[in-house]
Amino acid sequence: MMKRMKNNITKILVLIVICAAGYGCKKSEQFPVDKISIFYVFNPKDSAGTTAQAYLNNVYNTVKNGHNRVGSDYLDAASDDAVSRSLSTAPVTLLSTAGYTSASTIDNVWEDSPNYWSGIRAANEFINNIGVVPVKGFVLNGVSNPTSGVPNNEVWKSEARVLRAWFYFEMVRRYGGVPLLGDNVYSLNDNVAIPRSSFADCIKYIVSECDAVKDKLLAFPLSTADQNSSNYRITKGAAMTLKARALLYAASPLFNGGNIDANNPLTGYTDFNADRWLQAANAAQDVINLGTYQLNPDYKDIFLTQNNIERIWIRPVGINNTIEGNNGPIGASVSGNANTSPTQELVNSFPMLTGVNINSAGSGYSTSDPYGTTVATAKRDPRLTFNILYNGAQWLNTTIQTYEGGANKPNVNAIQTVTGYYMRKFMGLQETATSSYNTHSADWVIFRYAEILLSFAEARNEVESAPQADVYTQLYAIRKRAGITAGAANNYGIPAGLTKDQMRAVIQNEWRIEFPFEEHRFFDIRRWKIAKTVMNATHTGVSIVKTGSTLTYNPINVLTTTFADKQYLYPVPYNEVAKNPSMKQNPGW
Amino acid sequence: MRKIILLLLVTILTLPAMLFAQGRVISGNVRDAGGILPGASVIEKGVANNGTVADANGRFTLTLKGTSNVVTATFIGYNKLDVNVSGKSNNIDITLTSSQQGLDEVIVVGYGKTTRITNTGAVSSIAAADVRTVPTANIQNTLQGKLPGFFSQQSSGQPGKDASDFFIRGVSSLNANGNKPLIIVDDIEYTYDQLQQINVNEIETISILKDASTTAIYGVKGANGVLVVTTRRGKAGRPQVNVRVEGGLQSPTRVPKFLNSYESAVLINQATKNDNATATLPFTQADLNAFQNGTDPYGHPDVSWYDAIFNKLTYQANTNIDISGGTDNLKYFISGGALDQNGLLKSFPDPRGQINNNYYFDRYNFRSNLDLKANKTLTLRLDVTTRFSNLNQPNVGSASALSDIYDFRIMTPFTAPFLNPDGSYAYAFSPYNTAHLPTVNARIATSGYSNAKRSDYNVLFNGTQKLDAITDGLSVTGRVAYASSEQYTRGAGTYGNSIPSFHYDPVTQTTTKNPTAPYVLGNQYYIGDINVYQTNVNLQGFANYDRSFGKHHVTGLFLFNQSSQTFYTGVGSDRVGVPVKFQGISMRGTYEYAQKYLIDINVARNGSDRFAAANRFKFLPAISLGYNIANESFFKDIFKNVGLLKIRGSYGLVGSDVAPGNQYIYTQNYLQGGGYVFGSSAQGISTYYEGALANGSVSWEKQRELDLGVDINMLKDNALSITFDYFHNVRYDQLIFPNSIPEVLGVGLPAINLGRTQNNGFDGSVGYHTNIGKVSFGSNFVFSYAKNKVLEKSEALPAYPWLARTGQPIDQPFGYHFVGYYTAADAAAINAYKASHQNSNLGNSVPAPNAASPIQAGDLRYDDLNHDGIIDESDQRPIGMPNLATTSLGLTLQFGYKGFSASVLFQGNFNYSFIITGTGIEPFQSQFQPIHQQAWTPANADNAQFPRLTQIAGTVNSPSSYPSDYWLVNAYYVRLKTIDLGYQLPTKMLPFHINNARIYVSAYNLFTWDNSLKYQQDPEIRSNTAGDAYINQRVINLGVQLGF
Repeated sequence: MMKRMKNNITKILVLIVICAAGYGCKKSEQFPVDKISIFYVFNPKDSAGTTAQAYLNNVYNTVKNGHNRVGSDYLDAASDDAVSRSLSTAPVTLLSTAGYTSASTIDNVWEDSPNYWSGIRAANEFINNIGVVPVKGFVLNGVSNPTSGVPNNEVWKSEARVLRAWFYFEMVRRYGGVPLLGDNVYSLNDNVAIPRSSFADCIKYIVSECDAVKDKLLAFPLSTADQNSSNYRITKGAAMTLKARALLYAASPLFNGGNIDANNPLTGYTDFNADRWLQAANAAQDVINLGTYQLNPDYKDIFLTQNNIERIWIRPVGINNTIEGNNGPIGASVSGNANTSPTQELVNSFPMLTGVNINSAGSGYSTSDPYGTTVATAKRDPRLTFNILYNGAQWLNTTIQTYEGGANKPNVNAIQTVTGYYMRKFMGLQETATSSYNTHSADWVIFRYAEILLSFAEARNEVESAPQADVYTQLYAIRKRAGITAGAANNYGIPAGLTKDQMRAVIQNEWRIEFPFEEHRFFDIRRWKIAKTVMNATHTGVSIVKTGSTLTYNPINVLTTTFADKQYLYPVPYNEVAKNPSMKQNPGW
Repeated sequence: MRKIILLLLVTILTLPAMLFAQGRVISGNVRDAGGILPGASVIEKGVANNGTVADANGRFTLTLKGTSNVVTATFIGYNKLDVNVSGKSNNIDITLTSSQQGLDEVIVVGYGKTTRITNTGAVSSIAAADVRTVPTANIQNTLQGKLPGFFSQQSSGQPGKDASDFFIRGVSSLNANGNKPLIIVDDIEYTYDQLQQINVNEIETISILKDASTTAIYGVKGANGVLVVTTRRGKAGRPQVNVRVEGGLQSPTRVPKFLNSYESAVLINQATKNDNATATLPFTQADLNAFQNGTDPYGHPDVSWYDAIFNKLTYQANTNIDISGGTDNLKYFISGGALDQNGLLKSFPDPRGQINNNYYFDRYNFRSNLDLKANKTLTLRLDVTTRFSNLNQPNVGSASALSDIYDFRIMTPFTAPFLNPDGSYAYAFSPYNTAHLPTVNARIATSGYSNAKRSDYNVLFNGTQKLDAITDGLSVTGRVAYASSEQYTRGAGTYGNSIPSFHYDPVTQTTTKNPTAPYVLGNQYYIGDINVYQTNVNLQGFANYDRSFGKHHVTGLFLFNQSSQTFYTGVGSDRVGVPVKFQGISMRGTYEYAQKYLIDINVARNGSDRFAAANRFKFLPAISLGYNIANESFFKDIFKNVGLLKIRGSYGLVGSDVAPGNQYIYTQNYLQGGGYVFGSSAQGISTYYEGALANGSVSWEKQRELDLGVDINMLKDNALSITFDYFHNVRYDQLIFPNSIPEVLGVGLPAINLGRTQNNGFDGSVGYHTNIGKVSFGSNFVFSYAKNKVLEKSEALPAYPWLARTGQPIDQPFGYHFVGYYTAADAAAINAYKASHQNSNLGNSVPAPNAASPIQAGDLRYDDLNHDGIIDESDQRPIGMPNLATTSLGLTLQFGYKGFSASVLFQGNFNYSFIITGTGIEPFQSQFQPIHQQAWTPANADNAQFPRLTQIAGTVNSPSSYPSDYWLVNAYYVRLKTIDLGYQLPTKMLPFHINNARIYVSAYNLFTWDNSLKYQQDPEIRSNTAGDAYINQRVINLGVQLGF
């Protein structure tokens, strides 16, 4: 009996050992070893900071590339400068015809991935963690003693702060004041039902961030060797330009004196203060004083050549010809998708080669040769040719035919221009290309020097009771570069002695023709509070009828857009208001 | 030996009576439909203690002593049967029918067994013998309507892919994968697809465990219910061989009818006219005439592609052989099976005749279950089973060859002739088929095949040591189980568009090559890949205690269970490489007093590595109580005909550890991206970004389950049995992605334990069995109802109350509400309004979508719930019901007369909805179907069954763009699900050593009554976009079963 008992106990022991053996196995691979943790990204042993910099690159990646960004159109197709070829079904049309609500928004930079909130979070995470990475190296910025240079990780951190300020600016110009998160990186259990900060605080934050770090950034230009690898990075000039732009917007009527909800600090300042224009002018003057930038002699080249002297900050896109593919005319040897159709109103805003408005007496404008392709005295501002493809323009080694039934407007397919014009801007030098589009740098230019000059001119004009010489100087410079003739009076078509209001009109038109499709016009007509006028209108195009060799230009109505006061600001997405009880909606939505 | 003792005992006890008895000796066999029943009792009626037990061959011999001339045969799990033996002496065949609801019927539960009389949980079970002759390849296809609480849906009839999805008591989780029941075969966890590989012939019993008390032993895997399968084992006795050979004919349950060329052309003209009244019609009268009279078979073809491609019938065969028996020390059950299902495709051999491209499925199953008694106290068990399968399908079409026939954009009846006059392949030569693909037959013949070979291996080794030496009734068991499955798919294809195809012009009598096609067939290529590779090692150790002290009966179980599973599924990098580990201990204790007062307590503590260490283990308790009122003496005195009246209830907590997406939600990952370019190099540089936030407190889904039940057996011989269960479950802490956290957070969100649903309902069965003269009759009615409701879904407050998903059932469809067709006046009003309101309909009293093609008369008009004049997402509301039925009914009827037996199952599902979109129904995407002939026209405005035909996609008439209750079918069906008619040959007719022979006809899905004819599809399908699932099959089967 005892023996059997012993036998049994042995067996039990065996069973227990089997179980225990299994128990002991569990210690390996308790989590997936292929996953990367924050300690790998911000590695306290990585003196090159490779992965940390890759994380910063991700913050840069949140910066939007404006090419065909909204639906498949440029944002400017929601302004009076252009319409979408797809008209009623295009998101930009919904944007320009009030076809959106807080529940179905267009250009939803708040929610659509990757949105600016993800950029802000990533920047904050970088700012909070880069300190642990012992990055070696300094940015010398001209000084020779390394100890006077800025340590690399400090430079990166400063770049992240400017990027963050840019993300805020992008939201502030759309929504007004938004929640300011500081350096907080919220976790799952934190309360992120954060109320919006006032517009004034947001501007103050953006400006103070730019001020705080501007001297800890790369000072462009670097040595030639550095340019290719660093030309996408935030520089001192970029930070100062962002400050100038933020202050220009803050000084503008929509936010400064024209707040759509007069006593609402979220939608703008609750007062008017002329000093804001002065601050804007000074901020632009500071960039001019840097002496770093100049107008690039060739307007087209700004968008095609990397490292040109006019570029202040770009969103790199790479080298390709997709802009041509998306927006080029159909019917050419290489067909484009004809996405953005410029309006007649934009075409008409380009002056003559002499800088004189086409409607001015004696301008030389010819209704039978509106683009000056044949009559020498009817020649137009060269920027018309740089920005727009019209009938008779050169393209792919042939002549554009946008007359009815012409090669580039055959009327047999829905994919063609609806206004009689195609966008030309940003495209490579395809005029003489034959079998295919050349590839070229397709970088999205965010800040360029011409903006600084115009901002200065605009702000200065508002500061003084009448336009001073420095206003004229900047306009001359821009027009001269554009190729407008100086004329006998050496005034590039801008008469002397304009009143402040007359000068304002000239400057606003100059913004329009210098920066079409660059995501300026859409916001400019809002900050100037002229959208209610220019967007409650029918936008037109041209129908060119060819009889024999005679062309007749008939205006056609293309799209009637609508604009109500509430559209000066985007609605906060419905879900955000529903999720966050302290999130205030913009007026009217 | 025991039998001899018993016989001796019986003989001795009845000796005095024999003196007066007639002394006639009778002999015969006791069997059921499946074969002989060794061990069945045969007792003379009216004579106490005169009985015998059938021997290993099922034979009995009994000397009659009384005068009744009636013997009664009984066996556990079978209905009692009285047999009149007057005038008979030998070869008396007694055929018993299995009973679902006998008081002593053994019910298999987790790690143990109970009986109907002592069970306190919610369990349903059947013997596999009852469903063994159903001609289908998968066990789960046979259970619907048989088991209360079992819901299933068979959405495809393709050989090898026709297993039903099934759920126990409906669904409770918002997680897409969180509703699959746990599958346990011989106490080892199986996957869904391993289950469908099992041969029904190897199965002994099937149970489903439905409430907390029965599933708590499985802890965190039990919340979705458990399907428990036990396999057959040998019994001591001489070798018993069973052979079953059957062959059947498969045909589709419902064949879609498509319109011919003439009818289609008429509708195309109609649609063209609808879109533009002045447009030139695509088909002239001459075209229509040519289609109608068939005089121009090449210029105006009219091909019924379905009939050209598919056969009406195809063959399937199933052969099983098993042998079982043994001695007291070694028992064995060994079986082999071969299943062969063919597909419906006609033969389209490749030009070289080297490729089999038809649908087919072969499966070979082998099992060996051995029990060895090593010594008086140690029992060893070794189960080895393998399954090899081979699934073949053609390489054409996305889902099935049927999808190409459904797709109007690929083929139309007038697209091309079947073959050109010179025998060459034709290609689609119609403006509606812009891809100009070669005809379906050409592509099937030349596009090759795909063949998936799968192997499954399972080994289970088990040792049980009795420890009566320590205390009576104690034993310990150790068990190791290993399972692996692998599937390798290989196939042959043809490169690109390399099928030579031609267009024959009957006018010029010339044949022109498809411009993009070569002159000769391109060479083929082989491709192969592993789709499935998974292993599971499971280790179990448990101690069992089972002992009676007088009227007290106590059992106890202590279980340690650990498993590690490795997956390779070919998709989802998160599922590669990291084994899924599970560990747990469970305890169960039961106490019963005189089979009257019953208590069952279960406790599990389970851990899974999917959760952080602090949340890894979870304690899950459950309790159940039962009270057998019928065993109270006061009750017995009053109700003499009630054998069982038991009320029982259970309450407890169970869990589910299925997590969506990343299985390690508690870890914060950083991910590598790319695509950011800079400089002149145009090269993307690498970026790192923060992945979705970690949820450090991620934990199980939990479910509180309440079950109240009653079991009744009454009338004479307890012939009427009733079981009824009510349940109320609340599933909480469900892992769902929150929609209530502002985007300001700036990063992706993890699944959080936020979701909460409730699921309640009832299920049960009513069974009745009786003998009417020589006819035995049995019926069993099974009913199941389960309705769920979302209590918390982490939903942002919707803009309108009708948009709320919370409060609706899981997977509730949302869509528009149809309120009639637009009239011409409506259309004019909308166009006028839009013209004056910047192309916007905002504010119009005649609502219409904003940015789409203009509304015309005959378009579907939907309810503008927010009265803003625009039909958009804000006007969607709950429509119909989810796709999974809430109600399932089954009625089994059985008849027996001498050797004849019949069993039929009517099964029905009620209260569910489905919708077909895209190529299944939308004009110019789908082939034209008879319903399109009833489309709205000005003449047919009052009787329209379909909106105005239009060639424009995505209009308000499109069910994919505007899902609505116009398209949703609130469906039900009743079908004659299975039928079995058999004749068991009398023993005296059996030659050689055959002791059982049965011939039978069985059928599956024989007839269907339903209301979903609109879509011409089987009512069990899922909502789908294509209408192209391989049609469910009806099978009529002929079989022979022999035992010797």
